[in-house]
Amino acid sequence: MAAARYAWSGWIMTETYEVTIEQLKQIIEKIEDGNTSLEESMRLYEQGAALVKRCETLLAEAEVKISSLSQDA
Amino acid sequence: MDWFSTPDEAVTIAAPLRVSELSAIIQGLLDDPRLQDIRVRGEVTNYKHHGRGHRYFSLSEKGGGSTAAVIKCVMWRSAADHLPFAPEEGMEVIVSGSVTVYAPHGAYQLQVRSIEKAGLGEKYLLIEQWKKELSALGLFAVERKRTLPRFPARIGVVTSETGAVIHDIRNVVERRYPSEIIISPTAVQGEQAHREIAAAIRRVSGYVDVVIVARGGGSFEDLFPFNHPDVVKAIASSPVPVVSAIGHETDITLSDLAADMRAPTPSAAAELVVPDRVVLLLQLEELRVRLSSSLLSRVAWARDEMTGLRDRLRPQRFLRKVDERRNAVADLTDRLERGYRTRIERERLLLAGMENTLEGRSPLAILARGYCVTEKDGTIVRGVRGIVPDDCLTIRFYDGSSQVRVERVDHDRDL
Repeated sequence: MAAARYAWSGWIMTETYEVTIEQLKQIIEKIEDGNTSLEESMRLYEQGAALVKRCETLLAEAEVKISSLSQDA
Repeated sequence: MDWFSTPDEAVTIAAPLRVSELSAIIQGLLDDPRLQDIRVRGEVTNYKHHGRGHRYFSLSEKGGGSTAAVIKCVMWRSAADHLPFAPEEGMEVIVSGSVTVYAPHGAYQLQVRSIEKAGLGEKYLLIEQWKKELSALGLFAVERKRTLPRFPARIGVVTSETGAVIHDIRNVVERRYPSEIIISPTAVQGEQAHREIAAAIRRVSGYVDVVIVARGGGSFEDLFPFNHPDVVKAIASSPVPVVSAIGHETDITLSDLAADMRAPTPSAAAELVVPDRVVLLLQLEELRVRLSSSLLSRVAWARDEMTGLRDRLRPQRFLRKVDERRNAVADLTDRLERGYRTRIERERLLLAGMENTLEGRSPLAILARGYCVTEKDGTIVRGVRGIVPDDCLTIRFYDGSSQVRVERVDHDRDL
């Protein structure tokens, strides 16, 4: 069925973006929490920086995709 | 004297009216509630669109194959500009207006404020009825309204495949937040449009995160399918939120009431549906700054902590502790020595006393006074009984001893 295709295209841009932003926020909160060790904080920072880069890439590279459902589907 | 008597006839003959006075009387007569602000149904004939924008036509009623009645109509440009459609020759319409006299032409006419197509009234009534029914089903309830997803992956657009609507939506989505658009094409006007629209909504709603139902501006009749219960129900039963953008902002259809959100235009609908990439990038930048500063402050905090610890470890503090201990040790040593010396002193005194006593009792001391001790074979000889002549004896003096031989033994008396 042609429609199954739609279920996956476009997924990368959006759900990933929302999830990634959420992860990023959690990382920042962990670093801000005084209970996290310095070493752990540095490790988290590296992760966070990678997430920022990923989000930027997602936003920069996203392109609109247009398709049309067949009317007699 | 006759001429003084006024003839009766002269009184009864009224002075002639001026035409304007007559016209005013007629105008006054027409100022009747039955002729003002009325709606009249009829067929449009002799329709003329004047160069200045005014419309002139006749409204006529046919009866028995011929025209039974006709009234001239004028619609000034100010009113005609708001016509939702172009009246045509032979069109059955309902006009709203008032009957007036146009003195320069000596004619009465219907001054028209608005024209609607005949049959529209029935449609309005139908909409009112549908509205009641659908409202009773709760399809317009505020509690039913869903919030739109923040980051839709796929956007379904139910609209005509041709036309500006899809173009506008595409432009906005592309500019703000590129995502996938799935068009579910449908006719948006016509007798069967409501069925097509409803089917198009159902077809696409399972594959997308949000649906836009859109149509460009049009007449009341053009938008009519969007009032149909089929469409309203399709919107209400969509598994994902629906944004409506139907006609102009002033046109509100039942679809708009059932939608989770209503947008004034298709572009506005697209803006409601997708976030703005520029704003997202700004927010991301904020997060990046926060990320960096969080680590910096974590490091600064760790440094403060370390400084604190180092302060607590300072040698002065440590040495002071050592000094305290050392003093304590010195103190104890002192006390120990003093005690020890006192004790030694006392022991020494005791010892000296004992020495004196001992010396007093020493045989040497006795010898020093002139006494001697005699020994025979290492044994002290206490009397003469143990010795016989020629015995070898040792006589010990205080300053030495001498060996002697016994010549004779004398016993003093018998004991």
